[in-house]
Amino acid sequence: MFDFILILPILIPFITGLLILLIKPNVKKTEKYIMFTVIVNFIITAYTSFIYKGLSFHILKFNNLLDIYLAPDTLGSIFAMLVSVLWIFTTFYSFDYMSHEHNLNRFYAFFIMTLGITLGIAFSGNLITLYIFYEMLTLCTFPLVIHSDTEEALKCGRKYLLYSFIGAAFVLFGIIIFFSQTGNLDFTAGGIVKLFNNSNKNYFLMSYIFFFIGFGVKAALVPFHSWLPSAMVAPTPVSSLLHAVAVVKSGVFSLTRMTYYIFGWKIIEQTGGNDYMLVFVLLTILMGSFLALHQQNLKKRLAYSTISQLGYIMLGLVVFSENAFIGGMLHMLFHAMIKITLFFCVGAIMHYYHKTEISEIEGIGKSMPKTMICFTIASISLIGIPPANGFVSKWYLAIGGLELGAYFVPIILLLSALLTAGYLIPVITTAFFKGPPSSEVDIKEPGNLMLMPIIVLTCISVITGFFPNLLISVLQKASSVLF
Amino acid sequence: MYKYFPLINVFVLMITAFTIPIVRKKKIARELSIFSNAVILILSIFILVNVISIGDFHYKAGYPNTFFGIDWYIGSIESVLSVLFAFVSLLIVIYSYKSIEHEVPNEKIDFYYILLNLLLASLLGIIYTNDLFNSYVFIEVSTLASCGIIVIKDKKANIKATIKYLIMSTVGSGLILMAIAYIYSLTGHLNMSLIHEVIIKNYTQYPNSVLIILVLFTVGLGVKSAMFPLHGWLPDAHSSAPTPSSALLSGLVIKVYAFTLIKILYRVFSFSIVNETIILNVIILLGSCGMIFGSIMAITQKELKRMVAYSSIAQMGYVFFGIGLGTPAGVATAVFHIVGHAVTKSALFLCSGLMIEKVGSKKISDLKGIGKEMPLALVLFTLGAFSMIGIPILPGFISKWYLSLACIEINRLSLVIIILTSSILNVIYYFPIIINGFFGHENLEGKVYKSKSVSIDRMLPIIFLMTAMVLVGGFSKNILNFISTAF
Repeated sequence: MFDFILILPILIPFITGLLILLIKPNVKKTEKYIMFTVIVNFIITAYTSFIYKGLSFHILKFNNLLDIYLAPDTLGSIFAMLVSVLWIFTTFYSFDYMSHEHNLNRFYAFFIMTLGITLGIAFSGNLITLYIFYEMLTLCTFPLVIHSDTEEALKCGRKYLLYSFIGAAFVLFGIIIFFSQTGNLDFTAGGIVKLFNNSNKNYFLMSYIFFFIGFGVKAALVPFHSWLPSAMVAPTPVSSLLHAVAVVKSGVFSLTRMTYYIFGWKIIEQTGGNDYMLVFVLLTILMGSFLALHQQNLKKRLAYSTISQLGYIMLGLVVFSENAFIGGMLHMLFHAMIKITLFFCVGAIMHYYHKTEISEIEGIGKSMPKTMICFTIASISLIGIPPANGFVSKWYLAIGGLELGAYFVPIILLLSALLTAGYLIPVITTAFFKGPPSSEVDIKEPGNLMLMPIIVLTCISVITGFFPNLLISVLQKASSVLF
Repeated sequence: MYKYFPLINVFVLMITAFTIPIVRKKKIARELSIFSNAVILILSIFILVNVISIGDFHYKAGYPNTFFGIDWYIGSIESVLSVLFAFVSLLIVIYSYKSIEHEVPNEKIDFYYILLNLLLASLLGIIYTNDLFNSYVFIEVSTLASCGIIVIKDKKANIKATIKYLIMSTVGSGLILMAIAYIYSLTGHLNMSLIHEVIIKNYTQYPNSVLIILVLFTVGLGVKSAMFPLHGWLPDAHSSAPTPSSALLSGLVIKVYAFTLIKILYRVFSFSIVNETIILNVIILLGSCGMIFGSIMAITQKELKRMVAYSSIAQMGYVFFGIGLGTPAGVATAVFHIVGHAVTKSALFLCSGLMIEKVGSKKISDLKGIGKEMPLALVLFTLGAFSMIGIPILPGFISKWYLSLACIEINRLSLVIIILTSSILNVIYYFPIIINGFFGHENLEGKVYKSKSVSIDRMLPIIFLMTAMVLVGGFSKNILNFISTAF
């Protein structure tokens, strides 16, 4: 009876967004609406995740194929909670960051609609619903990416659109082949493939590969990643959201749904498709790190770093063991917190000091110590030095790999951690140990609206690093039905 | 009683067409046209309801068992298409009520409505008829009426386009007539059902004749419905015509010939006969080429209406693709695509027409920032474009989905790639218009919000068409199941 409540977190942001677009209130009012919506949304999402679990709701059911169906399970709720929590931080951050930008109504309208769509992806109960929200996500984030409205932004936006639509076409191809073999697209733990034999093995293999590459475009799988660095033309709150939560994580989340809830890992193992994809994933981890080393632009460096880190998460989706799955999912959560913190710090530097290159930020740690300390802590977490949270997720990934006798997994992880250190440590050393001595520098920290999200997020990462057991037990519950 | 409705439909249209010149008042001409369209919409819905509840039926006019007796057959597809044509045409005529003065010389407006009514009458005739020669007569009427509604603007481009259309169309008609003569000499019948009975027994004796007949029909009808290499007339004709004509031509007229081809391939002949010849491979090849090259040519266009016209060629490619699959599922999807595309493309043309009228330029490059000046028009255009690109629930997605499933069903997976490639190409030419319309600092500079928007009553037909489009997508399964009962 209460099931319709599921539609609210998706609908409320949409209505807010449309109202902002139509009424065009002044910026102060818009900010109030946005704040209100984000918090209400968070409460409802939390309510459905913790109190009323196991709801399901058919929004529109025309027939068995066109059935827009919401049914969040544990995994969906985790993702939904991640999205709604990080959205709150980004909202506050962008109030300050965006204050000097133009066309704020458009920005906030699409910003809030994207929240609804991402929650839609999290709540989807079948593949067609997920696909609809996935396409809408592309369309809705496009105005955010091209927010500056310059010729360059439009060019990058077009690239983003084209990559996304080609990816979506690949996904559609995968869905069609899969549907022709099973006639069903509902998410079920362990997969929905009933009939698997030699005659349709190749169909499943092809379907899997197209799925993986298609969703992989959004998850920045190398060599389909190049839209992500281009999309850095977006304002920082958008970049951080694109990276940390909305877009790339939607891609990863869709991949998880596809791997464990549509095919089921046993079927994929029998087709051998994950072995092909493993190559891409390892390539993603290493290429991302190597490319990040070369970037002088801070945001671009973080962008390539995201690519590499997404590789870790996807590693948990092609190495089929429970620990690897938990490691991948943990890394999804941790990376979201860490990367959003890093982006917020870089955004603060850009906003207050108008500096974007690494060479320009000499000594900036002395003028904004709190921000740069948070940056340092986040970097350490990302590198994975114990007891930071990045270590926990990588540990589980490594164990998962070793369980299956894949000795290259820990080696790759170590190598990539080394590279991560290689591209993040120079930023920290430049910020703290170069430039004029600290006595000559005035301290000018970002405003509270910007600083608080950074500090709180850093605290959360530290706490989850020390006490990861709560999250692990939740994920174990999610994974127990899959393995 | 309902058995007479098809005949009444055609008669109502023809009689109103010929009363207009007697009245000779522009306003009354328009109102008569709207009225007659509304009447046939209601009657068509009655026909549809009857076909759903009672089943298909024949109507025999004249002396049924002689060679000049005419047999009309109304099955599921006919009733659906009849409602569709009446609906789309009614909305287009309502749209033209306010806009036609901008495009057609004043003294020719009543003439224009004569042609519109005649055109719709002949289209319905082609849909209903079960008699080859009868359909030939209606095809000729429709061709001439279409020429009329293109040339009515009296500009140089229109006359050139019309002559091109007339010549190519006449060649097509000639081929169709030859094919009919051939089939008549072979079987001694003109009634499709009777021909079918004869041919199913004897076709093994005349493999070459059957092939020749099929080729003649395919090429003849292919010219008229803009099959890929025979499409040369379409972009000129559809882009130069007045907007209501373009919508009617792209939305309905080219579809009806494709449906005639379906009738000939699968009703006069049959799945088994046609599958033995190479004609289906040719159709599927040309359909695929149309899907790809139509889109590629659309990308290179600089004028909005030409681009939308080329997109029609690509979309007709889908229809031929479905026909060429040679399975009931493929053909049913082709018919569904006719339905979905008819509402989408006519709405897109009406939207483009409005934008062109307000901006005063046909060029795509002049439409930058239009989303600020005419937000509603571009939003509706965007919705239509979403269907073309294949956003789920909208009919474009449904056609692609079921076409792909039909391909996999006969183990031709590679064909699915063509479908998806074409949908990506659609993104490439529809999206720049939308992006430059809504976004971009340079594009929006100096544009005043809603400065060019038109009154809502002019937008209403487009809104109705778009609503119908969404509903067609939503109830696609029901429509497809109903269509499939014909095979």
